[in-house]
Amino acid sequence: MLFNSLIFLYAFLPIAYLVFWKLQGKLPRYVWLAVTGYVFYSFWNYKFCALMLASTLVSYLAGLGLLRWQDPFRRRLCLVVPVTLDLALLGFFKYANFALTSLNELSSRWAAGSWTFTTFDIVLPVGISFYTFHTVTYVVDAYRGLITPTRSFFEFASYVSLFPQLVAGPIVRFRQIESDLGQIDRAEERADLNRGWSFFALGFIKKVLLADTIGGIISPALADPAQLSTAGAWLCVLGFAYQVYYDFSGYSDMAVGLGHMFGLQLPQNFDSPYRATNMADFWRRWHISMSSFFRDYVYIPLGGNRVSRPKHYRNLMLTMLVAGLWHGAAWTYVLWGGLIGLLLILHDLTSGAWQRLPLWSQRLGTFFLWVTSMALFRSDSLSMAALLLGRMFSSQAGSIPVGTPVLVPFIVVAGLFAHLGPNTFEMKHRWALASVAGLAFLFSLCVLVLYGSSSTPFLYFQF
Amino acid sequence: MVARMSIFRKANPGWEMGFVIPRLLLAIALADAGLRALPVDPLTFRAWEALKRFRPPGAAFEPGRRYYNPQAYGDLAALGNLPELRQYRPETFTTDVLGFRNHGGPWRPPVAAIVVGDSFAVGAGLNDGEDLASGLGRSLGCRFYNAGGMDPDPDRILALARRLGMRGGLVIHEHHEDFELPAVPTDWRRRYQRVLASLDPSVSEAAGRVRGLVAVSPLKIVCERTLKDLEDDRALPNRHAGNVVKGTLPTGDSMLFLPSGIEKFNGRRPPLITYWEWMQRELRRGGLELFVVLVPSKYTVYRRFLADARPAPEGAGDYLDRVEARLRRAGIPVVNLTRPLSDGAGETLESREYLYWLDDLHWTPKGARVATLAVGDALRLDPSFYLSSPSAGGAETARRSASRWRASSASQAPESTPDSMAETSRVSSSAAVRRTASNP
Repeated sequence: MLFNSLIFLYAFLPIAYLVFWKLQGKLPRYVWLAVTGYVFYSFWNYKFCALMLASTLVSYLAGLGLLRWQDPFRRRLCLVVPVTLDLALLGFFKYANFALTSLNELSSRWAAGSWTFTTFDIVLPVGISFYTFHTVTYVVDAYRGLITPTRSFFEFASYVSLFPQLVAGPIVRFRQIESDLGQIDRAEERADLNRGWSFFALGFIKKVLLADTIGGIISPALADPAQLSTAGAWLCVLGFAYQVYYDFSGYSDMAVGLGHMFGLQLPQNFDSPYRATNMADFWRRWHISMSSFFRDYVYIPLGGNRVSRPKHYRNLMLTMLVAGLWHGAAWTYVLWGGLIGLLLILHDLTSGAWQRLPLWSQRLGTFFLWVTSMALFRSDSLSMAALLLGRMFSSQAGSIPVGTPVLVPFIVVAGLFAHLGPNTFEMKHRWALASVAGLAFLFSLCVLVLYGSSSTPFLYFQF
Repeated sequence: MVARMSIFRKANPGWEMGFVIPRLLLAIALADAGLRALPVDPLTFRAWEALKRFRPPGAAFEPGRRYYNPQAYGDLAALGNLPELRQYRPETFTTDVLGFRNHGGPWRPPVAAIVVGDSFAVGAGLNDGEDLASGLGRSLGCRFYNAGGMDPDPDRILALARRLGMRGGLVIHEHHEDFELPAVPTDWRRRYQRVLASLDPSVSEAAGRVRGLVAVSPLKIVCERTLKDLEDDRALPNRHAGNVVKGTLPTGDSMLFLPSGIEKFNGRRPPLITYWEWMQRELRRGGLELFVVLVPSKYTVYRRFLADARPAPEGAGDYLDRVEARLRRAGIPVVNLTRPLSDGAGETLESREYLYWLDDLHWTPKGARVATLAVGDALRLDPSFYLSSPSAGGAETARRSASRWRASSASQAPESTPDSMAETSRVSSSAAVRRTASNP
């Protein structure tokens, strides 16, 4: 089920909301949140609910173990077993076939196909990357003593399967909503309702009107990048940079808004990343819950920047390679992660000179580097990436996307809001009547668009 | 003014997003519900969608309706959102009180045969009187009831036959190459069908009306159409274009095909006849004899003429021939329209009189006439099929007819091979096209 679907708006959300606020007490509300999460997930594929339940159960038991045992061996066992199991599941479903096909390619190239592996017939469970990280952060934080594991299974299950953040994040850590969950019986229905709907409506408009319209124009053109002219290639990649931003930040806003409706404060996931002045700044603003996850659970354990400079750069590069691989099981993502790592290292080496540049050129330069990296991110294969980058950086005759007269104003509007406008966390969400009317008009337009077309999945579902 | 605005805002604390957005959603839902009370005919491009809406369970269409559209066009042009390839034509489509496409009360006994099957049996894309059942009735001088579009369930067919006063006779089961054969239903499914067949007409009509109100949203249709108008490959890319495949004929005309039909043409499907054997057995219990009409897809018929046809693997397109051969071996009367229609297509190509609509999956009136003549010729091999009197012992007559048909069929095609059968069909098809041309 998608937030931008009629069944969600007209059936799931009203039922989930009304029953939640009818229920009194912690346990019924935990149970209801967990149930709605599983129902939400089962709309995609009910069979994989068992996988999520197993992951939840193992991490919950590990939390109980960490609560009970103090001796290092048992505590370590409570850390290693669930984390290994979670990562093994993620590895199998997401990366097994990638590894096997890569080995087969190596074999055909260097060993004349002397060994080949049969790939598995695997369906990647939607959101596995996200809920695995929820359970991993819970166990690791409990081991580190950053949180007190909960004794309530349903509290933990409601955290893991919380539908606003279940399939595409933000990667909420238990400590970030621990207090809200602890006081869920005292939450007030109307306290954040306006703010919640405001977040939700803005996210909905960003996704349906901006991201989907831009995506609808550039996707057919990117299906055959060899036909694109230089201008066409730049338009597509620039359009994709805005599409991915409005798609995912729109989803995150909807998730935050839904959290508010249920008395939960979900963290900010995008802090105007297109206003970043350098790549390090960019990564503090883009998909904050993911970048902070890799910072806290990969980069810092590797030694972070409190090591020699070569080791610091190694840590940066390794972290970004893993982050790239997390986005998808393909070499384009690995290469994209490597490119971002390289840009972060280059920034560290040249930060003094970079900071002397005017602010607008720092922002423009950062955005230019990001857009260029998006060519790699969007490509289905390395050959497509090479083709697209080749057309972007050489003078090529060819076509521009069908619908360019619509694409250009949409890119301009998207750019104005992304580069100059406030982000949703900077807004007060107390609107004047005219603004409410304008937002209501755009929101109803989005609903009518949903009536007229099938819902478009969020880009980050695939990750 | 500012003070007045602030007073206004204080006086209306409800004008917040938490107040407005849920009510807006409710208003759209109410508008949607309200619009469902309106007819959808003005929003439809052909009869099929308009008359399917309030279809009672078990019936094909809404009973007792007449649909007229002076500007109907083809399903493939609609599916691919290609307005420039639409072939506009007037369409009249009338349904009887039982919810099937018959006009002028053709269900009055005696009815010689019931025609069942998919949209080709219904006569999608054709006007009243141009469908297979009407054509056969005129050609053979007896009544053929068009029950196309109903679930091809033997219990329902037998119930319909009883209602039509048939005691024996023929069931012509049309089957199109692109569509999958239904599975032999489970006992539960059959019980469900029996319950449906026994429903009081007023109850099933009410059930159909409720289902139509729930399933069909005029607001959705309007929104879809508006978006499709914008997705014209100028303002926005046409994301529906991939739903169809465009081919070019030697005449320069573009013909649309279903991608799944092309896949099926190139694929190798096993010629399963379990369903037909079961259907024959079940119908015979009620004294009816089964006669199968195999209809080739537009791609099978026109592929060889396409300037830009993709190469096909060996044996591609012989699915219906193989089904036909197996049906003959099993003693099930069958006519395969592949050869008559292919030959007819070749003979009428230069004059740009196509047997299938350029923008539609279905055949044109000319194509339907070719099919009618080929089926009529096959039926003439044994007129007792459709001339079995209601007073005669139905089951026995049907059995005798089938055995006579088998004997005559075998004498014409001693090896029962697809080639030899196709040769028989070819002879009759040329005659059919000539007769069609002289009698438009």
